[in-house]
Amino acid sequence: MKTALEIENLVKRFGGLVATDNLSFHIEQGQSVGLIGPNGAGKTTVFAQIMGEHLQTSGTIRLYGKDIGSDSTPERIRKGVSRTYQVPRPFTDMTVLENIRVGQMPNSIWQMIKSKPQYEKEVELALSVGFSKTDLHKPPGELSMGDLRKLEMARTIATGSSVMLLDEVFAGLTVAEIAQIGALIQQMHKDGMTFLIVSHDLKALEPLVDSVIAINYGAKIAEGNFNDVMDNDNVRSSYLGAA
Amino acid sequence: MQIIIQGLLLSGLYALIAMGFTLIFSVGRVLNLAYGAYLMIGGYVYFTFSQTLGVPKLAGLLLAAMVGCIVGLLKYRLLVKPLKGNHVAVEISTLILAVVIQAAVVFIYGDSSKILLPIIPGVVQVAGASVTYNLLAATIGSWVILIGLFWFVRKTHMGRAMQAVSMDTKGAAISGVDPDKINMVTWGISGALGATAGVFFASYTQLSPSMWVAPLIIAVAVVIVGGIGSIIGALIVAHIIGFMEVTAVALIAPELRGVFTMLLIITVLIIRPQGLFGREELQ
Amino acid sequence: MNLRWYHFALWALFILVMALIPELVSKGTLRIIIFANFLAIFAISWDVLSGRTGYISFGHPFLIGIGAYTSAILTKRFDVPIEYAIPAAVLMTMVGGIIVFLPALRIKGSYFALVTLAFMELIYQLVQVVRPDLTGGTRGMSGIETLTRGAVNGYYLSASLMVVVALSMWLLMRTQLGTALSAIGMNEESVRGSGLSTTRLKLFAFLTSAFVAGLGGAFYVHYLGSIAPRALFDINFLFTIIVAALIGGASTIIGPVIGAFFLTFLLEYLRPYLPGAERYFIYGMIALVLYMYEPKGLIQLFSNAWNSLFSRRESAGNQNSDQAGKQSDAL
Repeated sequence: MKTALEIENLVKRFGGLVATDNLSFHIEQGQSVGLIGPNGAGKTTVFAQIMGEHLQTSGTIRLYGKDIGSDSTPERIRKGVSRTYQVPRPFTDMTVLENIRVGQMPNSIWQMIKSKPQYEKEVELALSVGFSKTDLHKPPGELSMGDLRKLEMARTIATGSSVMLLDEVFAGLTVAEIAQIGALIQQMHKDGMTFLIVSHDLKALEPLVDSVIAINYGAKIAEGNFNDVMDNDNVRSSYLGAA
Repeated sequence: MQIIIQGLLLSGLYALIAMGFTLIFSVGRVLNLAYGAYLMIGGYVYFTFSQTLGVPKLAGLLLAAMVGCIVGLLKYRLLVKPLKGNHVAVEISTLILAVVIQAAVVFIYGDSSKILLPIIPGVVQVAGASVTYNLLAATIGSWVILIGLFWFVRKTHMGRAMQAVSMDTKGAAISGVDPDKINMVTWGISGALGATAGVFFASYTQLSPSMWVAPLIIAVAVVIVGGIGSIIGALIVAHIIGFMEVTAVALIAPELRGVFTMLLIITVLIIRPQGLFGREELQ
Repeated sequence: MNLRWYHFALWALFILVMALIPELVSKGTLRIIIFANFLAIFAISWDVLSGRTGYISFGHPFLIGIGAYTSAILTKRFDVPIEYAIPAAVLMTMVGGIIVFLPALRIKGSYFALVTLAFMELIYQLVQVVRPDLTGGTRGMSGIETLTRGAVNGYYLSASLMVVVALSMWLLMRTQLGTALSAIGMNEESVRGSGLSTTRLKLFAFLTSAFVAGLGGAFYVHYLGSIAPRALFDINFLFTIIVAALIGGASTIIGPVIGAFFLTFLLEYLRPYLPGAERYFIYGMIALVLYMYEPKGLIQLFSNAWNSLFSRRESAGNQNSDQAGKQSDAL
C-alpha cells in the first residue's frame, strides 16, 4: 500500500497560542481515518494547513510522497486532496448542477472556454450523492442542510480528488440524513477513496473509519482502532475536560 | 514654520471630516459613498440660515448638524436597512444618492459656487505665519468635537455598545445590544458630524454642488490608511495627509496636492490592507 | 455553450433593428443613440469585471481614460495613424488593467472599490499636471482626428462596435469561464476550494474588461474629436456607467446594453419637460428606486413578465429564463 497523506512534525502558532503541536501521522491510500478531539483541539486548523488555507509554522505535508506544504490551495486540490467545510459554502445563485460544474471545471482559462460542461457526469454525481432528479435545478436556497452537505460533497468529489477531508459532515443533520451520508462515505471508501474525517458524532463516525487519531491542544494523544482509542485514558479525560 | 502651522490647522479639519465616515465604516462595515453629501448639506444649510436668513452663526451650525443627523437617519432607514448585509448594494445606492443630492443642490441653489463668509472674520499672526481666525476656529472646533467623540465612544454605555457592534455584531446582539439601534445612532451621529465638518470645510474652501467629492476622498484615505475602528489611527493619518498636502503645495506644486494622498492610499492598501493602525479582521 | 434557436433569433433581430435604425429616426436621435452605444460598451466592460466577480470597480473612467488619452496623444502629438494608435491604446489600457489588478490580489470588497476610486482621482490630477504639452492639461485636447463624418456613419461605426463587443462578450460569458467568474462573485473561497486558481480568473476578467474599456475609449475619442479631463474622470460619468450596467441587469451582458439605452433615452426625454438640473435629480431618483426595487435589473423584470405571460409551470416561478432553458435541455 502507498501512503496517501503524510504529516510530519507539523507546528502552527498563532502568536503565543500553539494550535498544532508537533503533529505527525500518515494515511495509507484507500484508508479512512477519523480525527477526533474536544472542541478547540485544533482539528480544523490541521485541515486548514493540509489545504494551504493557513501556512504551517514548521513541518512537512506530503501527498503521495511529494511535498505540498508550500503549494496554493487550488494546486493542492489539483494534486488530489480536497476538503468540505463545517458550514457549507455553496454558490447561492446557481443550481445544484452548476455548483457541481464549478468543481468539475478544468483549471485553465482556455480549456474553460473551449470545453463544454460535462452534463451527464454532473447529473451522475448529483444522483450518486443522493439528490433526486427534481432537485437538480434548484438553487441552494431551497435545499435542506443535509442537501447542502451533499452538494458540498459532490462539488468536492467533482474536483477529482482521491483524498478527501470531511469537516463535521454530520453537524446539523437529521438521523435519516446522517445514515444517507454515512452510506455514501462507505460506498466511496469501498471504491478506493482515502478519507480523513472530523466528527463530534462518534457513533456515526465509528462504522466509517479504519482507525482514529485523537488530538488535544494540537498534539496527538492517541492513535489506533476506534475502540482502543475510546478506551484510552488520555482521550477520556480530554473529552471530560480534565486534562 | 508656515508649513507646520498650516499643516496642523488643515489636519484638524481633515480629522473632523473623516470621523463620521470612520464611524459608519467601523460600526456598520459599509461604505457610505454619500458621506461627502452630508458635508455639502451642512454647508448649504448653514449658508441658507446664517448667511441668507441671518440666523446667529452658532444656531446655524446647530441647525446644519441637525439636518445632517436627520439625513443620516433617513438614509439608514430608507436605504441601508432594506439592503441589509449587501455591501455592494449599499455602496452603489449611496453613490446614486450622492449624485441625486448633488442634482438637488444644483436645483435649489444653482450651478455656480458660493462663497461662505468666514465664521469668525480676521487674521492673527502665529509665529510669523498669518492664520485666519476662521481656520483657527475650524481647527479648534474640530478638536473639541473629536475629544468629545473620543470620550463618548470610550466612556459612555452607548459608545461602548458601538464598539462592541463594530467588533462583532452577532456577539454584541447576543449580549443584549440591539445592533439596529446602534446603527441608527451611528448613522445619526455620522450625519451630524459630517454636516458640521461641512460648514467648516465650506468656509475654508467654498460651496459648490461638486464639493462632496474631495472630502469623500479625504475620508476614504483616512479610513484606509488608518484602519478600521481606530479613532486615534484616523487622527494620526489625518495629520499625515494634511501635512503631506501642505508640504506638496508649498514645496512642489499646488496641483499635486491630492496626488500623494492617492499614492498613499494605493500603497497602503497593497502593502498593509488592514491599515496602519487597524486591527486584523477576525475570521 | 448551450445555444438555443431563440438565442440566434433574438441576436438576429437585435442586429437587424440596429441596422435599420438610421432609416427610422432623425439625425438628432441618431446622435443620442451613438452615445448610448458607447455607454453600452463601457457598461459591458464594467459588467464583465464587476457584474460577474463582485469586485466593484469605481475606476472604469480610469481605464477608459487611458484608452482615450493614449490614442488621442498618439494621433495628435505624434502623427501616428489611427489604425496603429487604437491597438496601442487598447494595449496601454490593458497594462492599466494589470495595475488596478495588483491590489485586487490582496484586498476584497469595499477596499477594492475604494482603491479603484483612488486610481481615478489620481489620474485625473496627474493628467492635468504632468506634461500638459501632451495631455492638454486642464482644458484637454480638441481637433483630434475623427474616424467618421456625419451622424449616420458615426452611428454605423459605434453600433457595429457595440454589437461585436456585446456578442463576443455574451458568447464568452456563456462558456464555463462565465460560470467560474460568476462563482467568484458568489463565494471566492469556494471557487478556490474547487481547485480553480481565482488569481488567474480575476486577471483574465480584468484584462478583458480593460480591453473593452480601452477599445471603447479609443473609438469614443475619435468620434468626439476632443477630450477633457473633467468630463472623463468624473463621478457622474462613473455613476452613469455603473447604473447602466445595474439597471439593465448585471452579469448578463445584454442587461447593460438595455440599461445604457434606457438611461440615455430617459435623460433625453426628460429634457423638454425639465431642462435644468432637476432632470438629473429625477433621473437619479428613478435609477435609485429601480435599483432598490429590483437589484437584478430591467432584464429580470422583462423575464418575470415573460414568465408570468407564457410559462405556467410552477417550478419556473422564480427561475430566470436562462435556467428554464437549461431545464428544457435536460428533460
